[in-house]
Amino acid sequence: MSSNDPSALPYRDTKPQGSADFYFATNATFRFLIARFGLAGWRRYLEELGRGYFAPVNQQWRRGGLGAVARYWRDFFAAEPGAVVTVEELPDRVEVVVHACPAIKHLRAGGREVVKEYCQHCFFLGVARAEAAGLTMRLAGGNGSCRHTYGRPSAELPVQDMQSIVEARL
Amino acid sequence: MIGCYDFCGHYEWTFDWLEREGGPGLVRAYWDEAINHDSQRHARELILREGFAGMAKYWAHTLVEESPELGFAITAKPEVFRIDMHDCPSKGFLLRNGLESYHDYCDHCIGWIGPMMKEAGFVIDHEHDHLGRCWWEMRPVGAAAGHSAVGAVAGDQDVRMRADWNPPGGRCDRYEKATDPEAKLPPPSPPSSPPMA
Repeated sequence: MSSNDPSALPYRDTKPQGSADFYFATNATFRFLIARFGLAGWRRYLEELGRGYFAPVNQQWRRGGLGAVARYWRDFFAAEPGAVVTVEELPDRVEVVVHACPAIKHLRAGGREVVKEYCQHCFFLGVARAEAAGLTMRLAGGNGSCRHTYGRPSAELPVQDMQSIVEARL
Repeated sequence: MIGCYDFCGHYEWTFDWLEREGGPGLVRAYWDEAINHDSQRHARELILREGFAGMAKYWAHTLVEESPELGFAITAKPEVFRIDMHDCPSKGFLLRNGLESYHDYCDHCIGWIGPMMKEAGFVIDHEHDHLGRCWWEMRPVGAAAGHSAVGAVAGDQDVRMRADWNPPGGRCDRYEKATDPEAKLPPPSPPSSPPMA
């Protein structure tokens, strides 16, 4: 966790960081949902998760604007074991540059078959959350390193190119 | 990104989403297929291969990882493997943060552990009080014993010896020689009133 207090995370654990083995469960959950519901159903799950479970954070972003977005991602990645991330707040957007994705790193270390669409979850979830906060979101990269951009509508971010989201693999 | 710090929060939310989409059967299938057979396959492989020794290795690692304050006790005996959970890190996270989308989060443990134990040749005696406390006894199928007397296996580590175990007005779920989350026993009937004079 970051030393900035209070934390921007809505839910607090007693541990400074989460348990990385839970990434195995997230990967397995995606595999199960895609097998049962297809990619469209999995996307719908992520969108509903983004608008529902993450509603307290979305409200925080809507009230606090880009500053709240930047604080959240700094605190979020500080609580994820193995993450190497820089967060930059610009006048019209926040750039979250993931140099080492903690989830992909741990799935690889554990020899897990990574769902190849894994990295798309950050986009579908991120867009749902951003829209709820009156923002836009774009994603480029994946498979261990990527760039998330959260922007004001005035940033006029280019349309998302899904080809720019890389497949995940071991 | 979906993180691991608040994993129990979105995991619990997902149970409710699955139940709304496909009913209780889909939640059961998720616990067995996604958690038992996929996410926790390292536990499966250990326990199917090594039995009690595998349980000791798995839970010693995973409970220390998730509960560094050691809010649990493990008792391994030749005839039984027992866990007493005094402060469940998972349910505790939900309670502390006021998260309750699904009606019985605690069922997820027997939801994946039950089918795994069945495949490994064990049955489970278990109770959970929905307040972050539970106990488990795993024995080979066919063992006569079950639901040990309070303190008989774990001594003073037995969670049932706590003053706050299963408080009045609470709800304690109970399983006997079970491997199926559906095998929850009905709550005991309240004592009948004496006939009116």
